[in-house]
Amino acid sequence: MNKELENNFVELLEKHQNIVHKVCRLYTNNQDAHNDLFQEITIQLWKAYPKFRGDAKFSTWMYRVGLNTAITLYRKSKRTIKTQEFESVSFKIKSVEYDDTEEQQLKLLYKAVHQLNDIEKALVLLYLEDKNYSEISETLGISEVNARVKMNRVKKKLRTILNP
Amino acid sequence: MDELELLKKDWQANSKQTDQHISSEAIYPMMHKKSSSIVKTLFYISIAELVFWLILNLYPYFASEKYRQDLEMMYGNSTTLIVLTLISIIVIIVFVYLLYKAHKSISVTDNAKKLMESILKTRKIIKYYVVFNLVMAFVTITMGMYFTMNYNPEVSTQFAHMSSKQMFISMLIMTVGVAIFLLVFWLFYRLIYGILLKRLNRNYKELKKLEV
Repeated sequence: MNKELENNFVELLEKHQNIVHKVCRLYTNNQDAHNDLFQEITIQLWKAYPKFRGDAKFSTWMYRVGLNTAITLYRKSKRTIKTQEFESVSFKIKSVEYDDTEEQQLKLLYKAVHQLNDIEKALVLLYLEDKNYSEISETLGISEVNARVKMNRVKKKLRTILNP
Repeated sequence: MDELELLKKDWQANSKQTDQHISSEAIYPMMHKKSSSIVKTLFYISIAELVFWLILNLYPYFASEKYRQDLEMMYGNSTTLIVLTLISIIVIIVFVYLLYKAHKSISVTDNAKKLMESILKTRKIIKYYVVFNLVMAFVTITMGMYFTMNYNPEVSTQFAHMSSKQMFISMLIMTVGVAIFLLVFWLFYRLIYGILLKRLNRNYKELKKLEV
């Protein structure tokens, strides 16, 4: 692979790395695991990059590779099992515009999302990114109707987790 | 407000910032590190399987002259041995081709379900190969035992003293012994793949469940 391709890739990844961080945040519970997954997604992105045609948006393409790595290819290392570490790293980004109650609610929401299974997390991630159901169904390989039905179930599940 | 809407608002408000920015200098070495994905592991396992059974199948040809003679004597004639080895070699070639094709078809840019299916297909090819080899091992060992008892002068004299009932029981015990040994071998395989593909299988089932 030539140097130019490598430089282009690094430039794009650096610019859009937040997407990878978001996937890592949803699928891991601690910083070590986050770094591990980030590393694996980077390898997979780079491996697939020569075939990236540019007809899709780079960010959309990144979501697909990132999610595929997280839910299919990634082998959790032993250290990722320690779920109790979740609290300390969860979502460090703090919003200044929310009041305490809302922030508290958000914390609980993020914690609830962490309790979902891998596929449900993928649906939530795509939903939070404002992807439409056609994109969601295409990324996961399920029908649009099923994506919609599942999303409603996930919402219900989250509600149950939050209000047991 | 819908819970997810609140989450979305926060998520998108924070979408541009990250608390752990990775510099381009740090990305370069990351790209070239070795992947520890299940596809890579599956690939190494298939190579190991291939080499293991290849050595086992071709061993008689590289073993000492005496061992080869013993084997030929055991099988009564060398044609049986040649036929069995030829079948094994053909199967190995077909397996290498199928495995190569299956590995090539795994693409991380496919949709999640298709990617999972490609990986499971690769695993299935390895499974069939292992099953084939275990069946072949069972056939060759039992055949070997049968020929040894009938054609090996030392062994056949010992068996000649046995009654037909004793002979039947000892053959049964040996066959069951071989079957148990191979079964344990098979369970060991199942365990390795079970652990390796646990997450993938769970997620695949979850996706499939959505379609029912």
